[in-house]
Amino acid sequence: MQGNGFKIFLTVFFFAITGYYLYPSVQSYFIAQDKSELVGEELATYEQENLTKIRNAQEKALKLGLDLQGGMHVTLEVRVEAMISELATDVDDLFTEVLAVASQQASETDNPIIDLFVTEFESRDASARLSRYFRNEEAGITRRSSNADVAAYLRLESDEAVDRAISIIRDRVDRYGVTEPSIQKQGTRRVIVELPGIDDPDRIRGLLRGTARLEFHLMIDPAENVRSLQRIIAYYDTGVDSTATGDDSVAEADTTLDINDLLDSEELTSGNELLDVMQPLGQGVMFGQVLESDTTAANTLLSNPVIAEMLPRGVSLMYTSSPVGTTADGEEVYALLGVRDDIELTGDVITDARVDFDQRTNVPEVTMVMNSEGSRTWARLTGANVGNNIAIVLDGVVYSYPNVLGRISGGRSNITNLESQAEAQDIVTVLKSGALPAPVEIVQESTVGASLGQASIDAGLKSVMFGLALVALFMIFYYRTGGSIADIALILNLIFILGILAGFGATLTLPGIAGIVLTIGMAVDANVLIFERVREEQSTGKTLKASMEGGYAKALSAIFDANITTFFVGVILYSFGLGPIQGFAVTLMAGILSSMFTAIIFTRILMDYMVVEKKLTVSFG
Amino acid sequence: MRIFENINYEFIGRRKMGYVISGVLILVSLVSFAINGLELGIDFKGGREFVVETTSPLDVTTVRTALTDVLEFAPEVKTYQYNGAQQLLVRTVVDGDADVLRNQIIDTIGRTFPEVEPKIEKTYVVSANFAEDMKRGSIYSIIGSLLVIFVYILIRFEWRFGVGAVAALFHDVIITLGVFSLMQNILGFSLQIDQTIIAAFLTIVGYSLNDTVVVFDRIREYTGLFKSENYENVLNKSINNTLSRTVVTSGTTLLVVTVLFIFGGEVLRGFAFALIIGILIGTYSSVFVASPVVLELRLRAAGKRK
Repeated sequence: MQGNGFKIFLTVFFFAITGYYLYPSVQSYFIAQDKSELVGEELATYEQENLTKIRNAQEKALKLGLDLQGGMHVTLEVRVEAMISELATDVDDLFTEVLAVASQQASETDNPIIDLFVTEFESRDASARLSRYFRNEEAGITRRSSNADVAAYLRLESDEAVDRAISIIRDRVDRYGVTEPSIQKQGTRRVIVELPGIDDPDRIRGLLRGTARLEFHLMIDPAENVRSLQRIIAYYDTGVDSTATGDDSVAEADTTLDINDLLDSEELTSGNELLDVMQPLGQGVMFGQVLESDTTAANTLLSNPVIAEMLPRGVSLMYTSSPVGTTADGEEVYALLGVRDDIELTGDVITDARVDFDQRTNVPEVTMVMNSEGSRTWARLTGANVGNNIAIVLDGVVYSYPNVLGRISGGRSNITNLESQAEAQDIVTVLKSGALPAPVEIVQESTVGASLGQASIDAGLKSVMFGLALVALFMIFYYRTGGSIADIALILNLIFILGILAGFGATLTLPGIAGIVLTIGMAVDANVLIFERVREEQSTGKTLKASMEGGYAKALSAIFDANITTFFVGVILYSFGLGPIQGFAVTLMAGILSSMFTAIIFTRILMDYMVVEKKLTVSFG
Repeated sequence: MRIFENINYEFIGRRKMGYVISGVLILVSLVSFAINGLELGIDFKGGREFVVETTSPLDVTTVRTALTDVLEFAPEVKTYQYNGAQQLLVRTVVDGDADVLRNQIIDTIGRTFPEVEPKIEKTYVVSANFAEDMKRGSIYSIIGSLLVIFVYILIRFEWRFGVGAVAALFHDVIITLGVFSLMQNILGFSLQIDQTIIAAFLTIVGYSLNDTVVVFDRIREYTGLFKSENYENVLNKSINNTLSRTVVTSGTTLLVVTVLFIFGGEVLRGFAFALIIGILIGTYSSVFVASPVVLELRLRAAGKRK
């Protein structure tokens, strides 16, 4: 047994380390068991008493992937191109076109969009100066700035935007209250958000995606509204702009258009594309009403550039956030409102927001408090617009458009017409976290329910158990005593794999479990190689001891060569794969390392002990 | 128990037979690629996948018809049992708001089968440009793996072995892909190429190499040992003497992968299937492709020298 001292030391050492890293996992298993027996108050006291113990165990326990414990994995992409066009102080057709080309290229290759934008721009016109679009005194971009300066400025802004987006998203997630969320930057413009145990994915999606741009806008002049409406309807009647005949004919029409007239006209012109999808209103700032299912069609018709011309200058149409009514068969109807493009006040001035309830109707609303500068602007704005409507717009939809009764000082405002308290809560969350510097888009999402996760755990465990049992039986059957020793090594190997995963803070996923099952089958390979060699040595008439020594020594190079290539594959899979696949790669690598150790070193200790120390006969079948 | 002890099968002498079998398999695979192609999964194409859990089994055709009416396109619909729960998988590559789609699916199923309490258990959404990135990542990882392996073999063995090993790898991957292409609509489970399948293919690459390397290691040893022996005999002896190990290891691995195929559930079925095919082909190729290629290269060199 001399000479095995170091091997024994190593085994004990690894075993101890594994035990140390796996202890919290075992502990949290028992805590979960304890908890499942308790209910209500008892459970609360138990949690109270063992708070630090529970938290420690959870923190250090082997982490389960979202595909096993249930939860949401979302990859968000910050729309850098939207940010570029917002940074531009002056936009022309060339700019828009180049940006569109660059963003198309960016989705097809993995080059950063800013580089593509600059390259594309220069390829159109080598002497063109980007600085004319991005003049910004504060950032030091003047007329003389070179394209490289502008590119550097854009890159800086884009990096900042992504970082800011991450911290805002983190803030939102924290405010929503998710246990152990993980938010990481991936590449230059992607953010990976992992949220375990989410019960309402719809709400989270809205929370992550919402840019939270709060804006206060003035609205369309009612008389102009009616005029535009009539012109636009007429356009779709004949397909020609009929204003050439002079718009004075309708100019002095009552601000509230006679609905009967329009209904009549609808009947008369049943071929009118627009009236098929929109009911015209022309009352105050209301332009028309659209069924939820018709919004896409209506948007297509109304986004026609000719139509934009027919609206008063500087006015766009926006939908209301909540339906203004429902049809007889229960479909929701949204109103289209005429909103002026100029932003009078933004959400930046909001210092506090909270959920309130309307005193009369008890409907939830959000109360906002502004800073002094905002209060001043708000007071001036309301003072100058008594009798008019002001639209409160969040992320492109109008939440409310109150009629100003008088000058409002003190910087207070409300967002009303909310559907639920949850919606009010979410608005408060996004307002408090701040607006995203650029829009974000969900490019990948994987959400797994808790019960499906549990089913996957069960399926995984079943596979591990059956796989282990079958392989173990086969080894005993085929290699007798040698096989039994290999089986002990195999079990130790499994424990080591879990220890390595826990120690490195890796996550166990379903493909990871598949990796473990696969490892069970492949781990015995090293022992098979050794035992086959031992048999060969024995057949040449050597003693058991000599055969064993020869077998272990000669099998070594094959074991090493065979394992290292699979290990490389693991490394590469880990570098390029996504979450669950990385889990597979990690278990594959851990399995290779630990199986080499257990098969070569651990079994040798047992063999030596039995053969050399105890002078037993070990059968290799 | 012992199998394949003191055997001396004529592998190298019958290598022509192996060439014919491999040639036919590769040809069939290539023809199948040309005709059937490979079906890419959501990972690489972009799309949406939902798993709905219901309290009782649903009729697939009814669900598909009902969904097609509402969605105005025909989604892929499948039903199965997973760990005792009834599940329904709806998959589509059509773009559109995932939230809207999700609600439409739940509403439609709820309306068509009022008593099954449909519940979305899993949502998987990949946008087209993200899918493009994943595709690129997978291609990089495949190229990277092959490169690393080739370089490693070159360092550890002489170049002929490198060529032999890589030939065996291509052989294995082409035929396994061929099986995927041939059987994609025949089997009751999805054979779409996604990230998991790529992981399986790379594992096959690693595994097949593992088998090949063990044989090569023996050839290297015997070449030094039996210097006077004819090279063909050395190869044959090496293959025969490692055959027991090859079969045992393939056997245990096949065992666990089959367990995974049966118990691992819907997500891992394609993965396990790829591994089953890959291990069978990989074992075959380490005997009938890798070493014969080494021999042919040697014979050609010897022929030139004469």
